[in-house]
Amino acid sequence: MPQLGCSTRLLVLISIILLALLVMSFLSGAIGSALTGGEPILPNPGEIIQLPAEEVLHIFGFPITNTMIASWLTILIVVGMVYAATRRVRLIPSRLQSFIEFFFGWMLNLCEGAGGKEQGRRFFPVVATIFIFVIMNAWLALLPFFGPGIHVGEAPLFRCANTDINMPLALAIMSFVFVEYWGMSSLGARHYLSRFFNVGPLWGSIKQLFGGKIGAGLNGILSGVIEVFAGFLELLSELVRLVSFTFRLFGNMTAGEILLLIVCFLMPWVLVIPFYGLELLIGFIQAMIFAGLTLGFAAAAIAPREQE
Amino acid sequence: MGLVENLGINLGSLIAYLINFLILLALLTFLGYRPIMRMLDQRSAKIKESMDQAEQIREESLRAGEEVKGKLDEARREGQAIIAQAAQVGERVKEEARQEARKEAEKLIAKARLEIQREGEQAREQLRQEFVGLAILAAERVINETLDNKAHQRLIEQVLEESTSLGK
Repeated sequence: MPQLGCSTRLLVLISIILLALLVMSFLSGAIGSALTGGEPILPNPGEIIQLPAEEVLHIFGFPITNTMIASWLTILIVVGMVYAATRRVRLIPSRLQSFIEFFFGWMLNLCEGAGGKEQGRRFFPVVATIFIFVIMNAWLALLPFFGPGIHVGEAPLFRCANTDINMPLALAIMSFVFVEYWGMSSLGARHYLSRFFNVGPLWGSIKQLFGGKIGAGLNGILSGVIEVFAGFLELLSELVRLVSFTFRLFGNMTAGEILLLIVCFLMPWVLVIPFYGLELLIGFIQAMIFAGLTLGFAAAAIAPREQE
Repeated sequence: MGLVENLGINLGSLIAYLINFLILLALLTFLGYRPIMRMLDQRSAKIKESMDQAEQIREESLRAGEEVKGKLDEARREGQAIIAQAAQVGERVKEEARQEARKEAEKLIAKARLEIQREGEQAREQLRQEFVGLAILAAERVINETLDNKAHQRLIEQVLEESTSLGK
């Protein structure tokens, strides 16, 4: 018999409580109350979910949304934790320091693996910050005081910052700006931009054409036009990333939030626990994807374009 | 712009989030990334240094061991050389002593021989003188008892007999 963490009697007791909770949760949720003809104890999420973040207060006439407050909370917690860990950095680390070191070391390894030793260190702060911000936003939002529990008027006081489209969009813009900046600064603006506006070969062949080499010129014009078009596609894909970054994160996080609300609406207790686990995983995955893609794009941006 | 409004995109929030992100980036860079990275580098440098040092110490101790072994070998060789030399010296002393003893013995023998010879010489001389004395005595007697041929003969024989018994 495998070792349990508690006695069999306790296990049975816990199972009975869980089962009772499950039955109660079934009866008090939407399904059960529909069967018994009562009212579900939680409101229908369809009535409370709205995509734009709710404005909960105004500071100097500037509207503050609940997602904004949540993101400040995230920043406070993250910075507080990192500060506590690094206030007295020691060669022989404390537990918190070694945890932070482990995490940063892991991130740093990823960055150095993708961009090389020197460039990886340039990427590291941005990539790590994106990761931390996304994952902490997602995970903090699973805490009980997030969501409709504490509310100001109709709106919850805290709401997962990832579910406000402005926040993924801002991250996407940051990612885009940094990637372009790294590309330009390590390859030179002219070289870097030539991958989007590749008119050099076309121009050269037009000159050839007027210089009298008609055959070569015509051939060159054809491939030149293709080059220009390929550059245009490249530019387009660069811009499309903004949209895909934004909606991937926004969509996943919002869907997760709605999923939890719906499960709670259907059965308020017990059943929702596995979904919390799922949301933890999804928060990690989304953070990984956002940071990882930024890193990948950065590595691609600093790779020199082969000249023909 | 129904879509933008439905999703809640708004410039103010967007800018606020951009600033939020930059603030977080700056704070983490100064509070987290820099010190931690410095620490990681420092630690890896330290570890490398210690490992180099350990390697150096190991090599040094190896070299010291070699040196000690060399010295021991040398000492052993030296000791053996000294022993060999001592043995040689002993041998030589023994040989000398033996030579000396032989020489001494020979000297003694020679001296003894000389002594014997001299004594022999002396004895012979004494004998001769005695013989001469006897001869003279005999002659005297002969002369005294005179002219008895028989007695003469007997006397001479007597003297001769005496001399031979003396000569022996």
